[in-house]
Amino acid sequence: MSNKLIISGLIMALVFGACKNNSDSSHQSGIDMVAEGKPEVAEVTAAPKVPAPVGNRGPKKWIVNLETSEMEGIIADSISYTFWAFNKTVPGSFIRVRVGDEVTLNLKNDANSVLPHNIDLHAVTGPGGGAVASSAAPGKETSFTFKAINPGLYVYHCAAPPVPMHIGNGMYGLILVEPAGGLPKVDREYYIMQGDFYTKASKIKKGLFEFDNDKAVAENPDYVLFNGKKGSLLGANMLEAKVGETVRLFVGNGGPNLTSSFHVIGEIFDNVYLEGGSTVTHNVQTTMIPAGGATIVEFKCEVPGEYVLVDHSLSRAFNKGAIGKLKVTGDANPKVFKAGGAVTKE
Amino acid sequence: MKVLNCFKIVFIVLLFSCNKKNDELQVNSTDVTKANSNTIHPISADVKMVYIPGGEYKPFYGSDAVLTKVEPFLIDERAVTNSEFLAFVKANPKWKKSNIKKIYADSTYLRDWQSDTELPKNAKPDAPVCFVSWFAAKAFAQSVGKRLPTLDEWEFVAMADEVSANARTKSDYSDNIINLYLQKNRQYNQVKQSKPNYWGVYNVFDLIWEWTDDFNSVLTTNDSRTGQYEDKSLFCAGSATSSTDILNYAAFMRFALRTSLKANYTIANLGFRCAKDTIIIKNK
Amino acid sequence: MKYISYLFFSVVLFASCKEKKQKAAELPSDSIFNLTSNWKNQNNDSLQLKKLQGKTLVVVMIYTSCKSACPILVSKMKNIESKISRNDINNVSLVLVSIDPKTDTPQRLKEFAKDNKMDAPQWMFLTSNEGATQEFANVLSMKYKKISPIEFSHSNIISVFNANGELVSQEEGAIDVDKVAKTVHETVQNS
Repeated sequence: MSNKLIISGLIMALVFGACKNNSDSSHQSGIDMVAEGKPEVAEVTAAPKVPAPVGNRGPKKWIVNLETSEMEGIIADSISYTFWAFNKTVPGSFIRVRVGDEVTLNLKNDANSVLPHNIDLHAVTGPGGGAVASSAAPGKETSFTFKAINPGLYVYHCAAPPVPMHIGNGMYGLILVEPAGGLPKVDREYYIMQGDFYTKASKIKKGLFEFDNDKAVAENPDYVLFNGKKGSLLGANMLEAKVGETVRLFVGNGGPNLTSSFHVIGEIFDNVYLEGGSTVTHNVQTTMIPAGGATIVEFKCEVPGEYVLVDHSLSRAFNKGAIGKLKVTGDANPKVFKAGGAVTKE
Repeated sequence: MKVLNCFKIVFIVLLFSCNKKNDELQVNSTDVTKANSNTIHPISADVKMVYIPGGEYKPFYGSDAVLTKVEPFLIDERAVTNSEFLAFVKANPKWKKSNIKKIYADSTYLRDWQSDTELPKNAKPDAPVCFVSWFAAKAFAQSVGKRLPTLDEWEFVAMADEVSANARTKSDYSDNIINLYLQKNRQYNQVKQSKPNYWGVYNVFDLIWEWTDDFNSVLTTNDSRTGQYEDKSLFCAGSATSSTDILNYAAFMRFALRTSLKANYTIANLGFRCAKDTIIIKNK
Repeated sequence: MKYISYLFFSVVLFASCKEKKQKAAELPSDSIFNLTSNWKNQNNDSLQLKKLQGKTLVVVMIYTSCKSACPILVSKMKNIESKISRNDINNVSLVLVSIDPKTDTPQRLKEFAKDNKMDAPQWMFLTSNEGATQEFANVLSMKYKKISPIEFSHSNIISVFNANGELVSQEEGAIDVDKVAKTVHETVQNS
């Protein structure tokens, strides 16, 4: 009897101890985590792709290389626009690290740039999010190192004057800081970023459109777009998933001005990481993404079909381009949804 | 024993010669100093200078209530060209591409020149010289008996459009300039191919960014959101750093460029023109 | 045996002699000792910057009539000086360069040094003319602006140079004096 008591007491102590340990490690501050090893160059990706999850690796040192440039690209149909971008894509490359990681960010401004650029990462704790330290004249390279101490999904953007113009031309992207142990595993992950665009025809180059300052100040965009181009998630570019798979969308909003009411028509978000932070809420139809903010949404694909991604301020979706699609393939699931059936005859 | 003595002698001679060599080095290093001296050999410059009467103007960064006085001055009607800079380096070998000290210019100094005395392939001799540092621009100005314009002088001239001395209040003033700024590779065009401004000054916006003498006098950072609440630990004392015209995006771009510069930087679309004091006050 | 040792030392001497030659002839291209501007120190001695060659330099630009940030910069310099080990101090110069050459005459700098108890040999105050001051400020990537005859705005930077005049590090804004002192120690050890 007494033996049993001692043993069960021991087990309880062990369990309790283990529990305590566990909770300690999950609450350990990112500042105190030691980033191991030599710095490696981090994989970064263009939307809608994201780099591989961090899994359960420990904190490490990374080098992230970003290049700023000003270039012509297609904004809609056959309309050319002068974009400014990180790594030549709008949005810029997706950066994926974990809490406790030490990141050296190298920012190179293309030699052919007209203007200086810099980067403010909302994941950085420090002056200007790195904007001052990273200010790079055309052809120059700057660098700073930060420790990712708060998990979450964060916007980064250029903050060089005039900042609404730099953002309005597409200078933004996302950086994900995963918690220790990583985010729960899902089957598919995608990167989407909304932005509002203010355009006018160039007086010098025929057929080219450029940033319109007056429209920007009036917050009256010509385009509200996912991933910097009308139709970037339509037709051959639709996102894909299979019935039964779980999908996670990393959705940011570069702005510069509008708040997004992000919604997927025909789906309910099982999980929403509110404003990209650590609070997870469930069963959400539409979630708000402020300019300069982000969110993570997750849902399971139950029924095949094409699901429309929109900013539910619907004039933006149907008139200004804020629309994309997720194509779910697989067997019909009549238990959840079927067309037709009980039609009452008079 | 003899052998030992012999080695002793060699040893002593060596010791001595070593000292002597150092003495010679001293001489050498003063020679080097002579070659590096700040003497700038004059070259002649054939460029028309324009008289600017000066006056009071509102600086882009400052407080609305405070006007800055600009004294009358002369300014080159156009930027310094490739061929002029070539003449300068020929007369002043210290500023040749292969001789330049890193403290005066970074690694892209005269980047596209084929050699010390050969312009870039396909470069127009009458296109503005670029990839020059502030130090090099200052030295050139000295060689022609001039100086770089101050930031206030440059901005005073830049207030003009083709028909008026101060076009800043016109609704399309900033937009027109931005249109010009956004053109890539405009630095390869020849000078004076577009219309001059009100003062008769050419290419204020449509060719290159231009060094000013006190480009480093803008005490803001390139974090445009702090405005007049600039970080007090970065800068001592306080001239106002808030912008007097928040809709003048062209000026924001120009000042952002200046703020991003260091004096040894050499950049693809950054050149300069010269200015000069004047004692002539023209009748109005 | 003896002559072998002489032979050995001769070879060593010869080799070291050669090494010295290389070192003395080549001033690094980015060295501040390439600057040929003329300065005066607090003792009214005329000098060029290369006079400072051979010591690790801690450099700041200030002006003596400043009432705002300069006193803080000066006290930071004193704080850094106090953290440099006495073994190192003979190989270090702490240099305060005036951005207001009109007001800051050598005499005035001398008084300033005395008043602030900065008159030990490791302290050096320099003043020149506006051209040299502007050039030196630009070498340090300093921003400054004269906003009245007696007042300047300027960035707060403390720079460390090695004995060859090459920039080792710069601290700007909220300057960490321990970090600067550590850099100075490492720089002295490396030179």
